[in-house]
Amino acid sequence: MQLYLMGLWETVRDFIATGGDVLYLVFIALLIMWIVLVERYWYLLGVFPKDRKRIIEQWEARKDTTSWYAHKIREAWVSEVSVKLNSRMLLLKTMIAVCPMIGLLGTVTGMIAVFEIMAVQGTGNPRLMASGISMATIPTMAGMVAALSGMIFVTRLDARIRRERDKLLDSLPHH
Amino acid sequence: MKQVVKYLITAATGLSLAAGVAFSASAQDATSLDDLLRLVQENRAAAQRIDQERERRFMDERADRQALLEEARQQLADEEARGERLQETFAQNEVDIANKETELDNMVGTLGEIFGVIRGAASDTIGRISTSVVSAEYPGRADVLESLAEAQELPNIAELEELWLALLTEMRESGRVSRFQGEVTLLEGGRETREIVRVGAFNLISNGEYLLYNEDTNQIQPLGRQPAGHVLRAARDFENAESGYQGVFVDPSRGAILSLLTQKSTLAEHYHQGSTVGYAITVVFAIGMLIALYKLITLTMTGGSIRSQLKNPENPGNNPLGRILKVYHDNKQADVETLELKLDEAILRETPKIESGVSIIKILAAISPLMGLLGTVIGMIGTFQSITLFGTGDPRIMAGDISMALVTTALGLIAALPLIVVHSIVSGRAKSIVQVLDEQASGIVASHAEKGE
Repeated sequence: MQLYLMGLWETVRDFIATGGDVLYLVFIALLIMWIVLVERYWYLLGVFPKDRKRIIEQWEARKDTTSWYAHKIREAWVSEVSVKLNSRMLLLKTMIAVCPMIGLLGTVTGMIAVFEIMAVQGTGNPRLMASGISMATIPTMAGMVAALSGMIFVTRLDARIRRERDKLLDSLPHH
Repeated sequence: MKQVVKYLITAATGLSLAAGVAFSASAQDATSLDDLLRLVQENRAAAQRIDQERERRFMDERADRQALLEEARQQLADEEARGERLQETFAQNEVDIANKETELDNMVGTLGEIFGVIRGAASDTIGRISTSVVSAEYPGRADVLESLAEAQELPNIAELEELWLALLTEMRESGRVSRFQGEVTLLEGGRETREIVRVGAFNLISNGEYLLYNEDTNQIQPLGRQPAGHVLRAARDFENAESGYQGVFVDPSRGAILSLLTQKSTLAEHYHQGSTVGYAITVVFAIGMLIALYKLITLTMTGGSIRSQLKNPENPGNNPLGRILKVYHDNKQADVETLELKLDEAILRETPKIESGVSIIKILAAISPLMGLLGTVIGMIGTFQSITLFGTGDPRIMAGDISMALVTTALGLIAALPLIVVHSIVSGRAKSIVQVLDEQASGIVASHAEKGE
């Protein structure tokens, strides 16, 4: 098991060595993205139903549900929940936007490496240049994959949050 | 014509002389015709005698000459025969020489080949040994072989054994890791005796850094620029290992890859390649980050005060929510419509202060990649200018401008990425605060009013 993990770690390090240090950035962005994503799902599925139940019960307990005060209080409650629902969604979307940009940064740094090799060695040895080119292409690919891996979930999460908020509004009728 | 005349004159003179003699004789002795006749007869007889004598002598001489001729002919024949004989011998000798030469070639052939192989092997070994890091530990190994490689005569057994030994030593040492005390010529000048670890015929490691062996000066030098951190860490662990197995990075090209490493430019050098545009991007980045930092601090403080205000709606403090609540407290007696208008007005007064600066960060985040693009274009203009001047023959001339083009792009992105992230954090905070004020302030007021009733 330990040997297998060591082998795996070597593979990862080889991948990062061919892709350049920019892959660390992609990895960090990916990590943040997935931690936030998991946290959001956890809130939506674990914590939010309790909040909703509490708010609905509070609303049902109210005698006055039609006055200006009631209206404003309901609005405030829904807003409070929606702030909780939407918190960090912007960060999540930013991470998805940032991942391909980090990939692009990797492309540029890889091209810098290629031209540096050209400046030192000339164009005679395409094998040396290939290392820079792999540094240019691997982060781009990694950035794309990272962005794509989160994109589906984030889009679905976003739609789900909007739906949940609307449903909550619907379940607080003026009666 | 002149010559003809000359001959004629000579002939005439001759004739006149003969006539003169005849006449003088007759004038001397010819007293009578009889005498004359007798005289003539006597003369004739004497002349005949002389002639006979002369003839006889000629005949005698002729016989002699004939004999001489015969002799000479005989000699010629002899010499010719000898010549033929000699020629035959010569031809025979030629063939013999040719045969002997081939024989010699055959005899020397294999031996000469062996000698050539030995010399070749010796010079090969010198090349290998003098560049090998093993020579750092055992200096002066190539000297013995040099005489062998340059010798014109056949090598002797002792010299051959020297070659054999040298090859075996190199073979054995290239498979070993050894520690030895060596004198290191430091880059900043001076020398130092250190413990050096030699990994086969590949690398020298000392004090956790890689050393190079310079075969021209026979010096051990530290590498001008050491490889990446984890490579050095492995080298240090390897150096400190007492037993067991320990991984280490080996340069299979025996130092060539390591010395190429010194030509790589550092991060700082890369940064300065961006020149003016690069510095401008740095300034934009710094401004953006400062604004973001300021906004983060102020928003956190505002958020904190709003949260404490939420727990204590009776005493409106000096914060956005407090000011809105103050409007409510001032207008408790007003009707709902007026109160709502007043509240909206108060909220509208507070929001711009909270959201100010957030959009600047966004603008700066958008500007920095554009500035990178500007740097790219400037770099490409420089590239094409140098192409106009020098042609495309040498890519190294263009490389400077191209690296500027790429470095500015990279800098633009590097500046943009944190700015985007920071903007999303700041604007998220601002948005949540504004949402509290916008959507919840009236609710807070309402619930407070209900409690008060």
